[in-house]
Amino acid sequence: MKRIKAVVLKEAFHISRDPKSLAILFLLPVVMIMVLGYSLSFDLDHIETVVVDYSQSELSRSLTQKFSHSHTYSVTQMVRGKQSQTPEETAEEMLKSGEIKQFIVIPHDFSSRIKKGKTSHLGVVIDGSDSNIANIIHQYNEMLTFDFMAELKDIKDILRISTKLYFNPENKSAFYIIPGLVAVIMIMISALLTSLSVAREKETRSIELLFISPLKSHEIVLGKTAPYIFIALIEGALILAFARVMFHIPFRGNLWILLMFSLVYIVTGLSLGITISTVASSQKVAMIATLLVTLLPSILLSGFIFPLDSLSPILRAFSYIVPATYFLEVIRGLILKGAGLKHFASQGLILIGFSVLFLVIASVKFSQQRKAGK
Amino acid sequence: MTDQDICSVGPYLITARNLTKKFGDFTAVDKISFNIKKGEIMGFLGPNGAGKTTTIKMMTGLFRITSGDVWIKGFEVKKDINQIKKFIGYMSQKFSLYPLLNAYENIEFWGGVSGLSRKVIKEKKELISNEIPKEILNQQVKDIPPGIKQRIALFSCLISDPEIILLDEPTSGVDPEVRRNFWTKIYELKKQGKTILVTTHNLDEAEYADRILIIHQGQIILKGEPSELMKARKTDSIENLFKRVVTNHEAN
Repeated sequence: MKRIKAVVLKEAFHISRDPKSLAILFLLPVVMIMVLGYSLSFDLDHIETVVVDYSQSELSRSLTQKFSHSHTYSVTQMVRGKQSQTPEETAEEMLKSGEIKQFIVIPHDFSSRIKKGKTSHLGVVIDGSDSNIANIIHQYNEMLTFDFMAELKDIKDILRISTKLYFNPENKSAFYIIPGLVAVIMIMISALLTSLSVAREKETRSIELLFISPLKSHEIVLGKTAPYIFIALIEGALILAFARVMFHIPFRGNLWILLMFSLVYIVTGLSLGITISTVASSQKVAMIATLLVTLLPSILLSGFIFPLDSLSPILRAFSYIVPATYFLEVIRGLILKGAGLKHFASQGLILIGFSVLFLVIASVKFSQQRKAGK
Repeated sequence: MTDQDICSVGPYLITARNLTKKFGDFTAVDKISFNIKKGEIMGFLGPNGAGKTTTIKMMTGLFRITSGDVWIKGFEVKKDINQIKKFIGYMSQKFSLYPLLNAYENIEFWGGVSGLSRKVIKEKKELISNEIPKEILNQQVKDIPPGIKQRIALFSCLISDPEIILLDEPTSGVDPEVRRNFWTKIYELKKQGKTILVTTHNLDEAEYADRILIIHQGQIILKGEPSELMKARKTDSIENLFKRVVTNHEAN
């Protein structure tokens, strides 16, 4: 304990006297969350839409109005096609040229069928060249038509589907992007803190003196990890506060549970960083390796952008060894659903398991390096 | 007993036998053998890149030994490096003190790492305060002049009172007066019974050592007491002696 304490104190002094590095490490997450937060939004507005209304009834006009009153759409009505074309043909050309994202055809018998209580079909053609966008447009359309039907109070026998999006009623992508971003940035910063600190000692050769000293390898590992928990936790809180203020992310859960899980996750990141540092010879190598190991899997394989269900079985298997996967479940659940501690016991245990594993690997790696020399 | 006898007992505290270090095809240290007696100051001489630091790093376990071995106090470096660490002090030319910590904090750190009690560390801090003004000791090491820094570094290296002291180029980059003071300190350590191996490329320092090893291109080309070596080769300075043996070695 005495020896670990000596390393912890030394490390803490060193951090506090190097304000430049510290400033960079505090600035980096703030810049990242702003840049990525604003650029990664999947929300659409002003979806260019052409409505071809063959029904020309009160009902069809009110449906068209519903579209044009929504900020999500920018609606143009089309009565005739260009030259000898039908309106659909003209709309199709506009779709091809990218002028519009979709066109909607309201059939002649739209009003009469609905009034008789029969099903009527709206024809919708969406530009599917970007399937993500197409999906989102489709969802928006569905939400809007459901709303429309719900409002038809004088029609009794029509099927009413009242869908309500729980946790994210406006279906804002920021609500699930930002917590994901928090998870990615938190692990990146934590891992950078420790990996750079060990790599710096390798560069100045001070690590040699630590290796020659009576310090045990696990004492070096623990002593170098512990002081960064505090800094990483402050950074974590900063990232969370920033996400809340800048992107108006709601918070429905218990703040202490969130902080507790952030702490567990941060320790996982710090341990990962120190493991990376055992194989990195310089700060540059450590930085590149850390960014590669933390950013790529956390963005691609954690469910941050691509839903885990849509991954191939092999990638899916990989997602289980990405710490961000587990923290993402916790943070999304906590922030948006207000879920409690009992929902996340397994995630917490897995993250603790990761930390222990990384710390053991790092200690063993250091021991091997000390025994074998170069 | 000659150097060729393989042993780790008797008067010798350190015995190296055919010690070799290869980095790929390059042989940095080539089958060197030497003995160091208890209480002796051994000077390890040679130009930069001769293999001095590599040898010390093998002795401390920082470099893996390619072949041959070293015994320190009866322990084999290859097997028992953790035992050996308990009684060696090492001061490196590259790094000895953390630059952003002040001198006291560095001493606390190395004391803590060596497992010293808080009381002993406090005593050590008082001890160095008698030698060096407190204002300087309270400065971050990066702002302390090299001469004083070197004294603090030596102090930290000796903090756990090691029996064997390995000094790698301790006097590089400091002025002659500091060097003289440094050697006075080394003599004090010798009087206390410490065994000291000190590497240097400053040839004038060799005369301070009880015995010297001259290493060139990874091989020991001369060893013995400085005065006897000079007498045998009829020169009056180590510098001339060094030039002569190096030229001979290169000619062969």
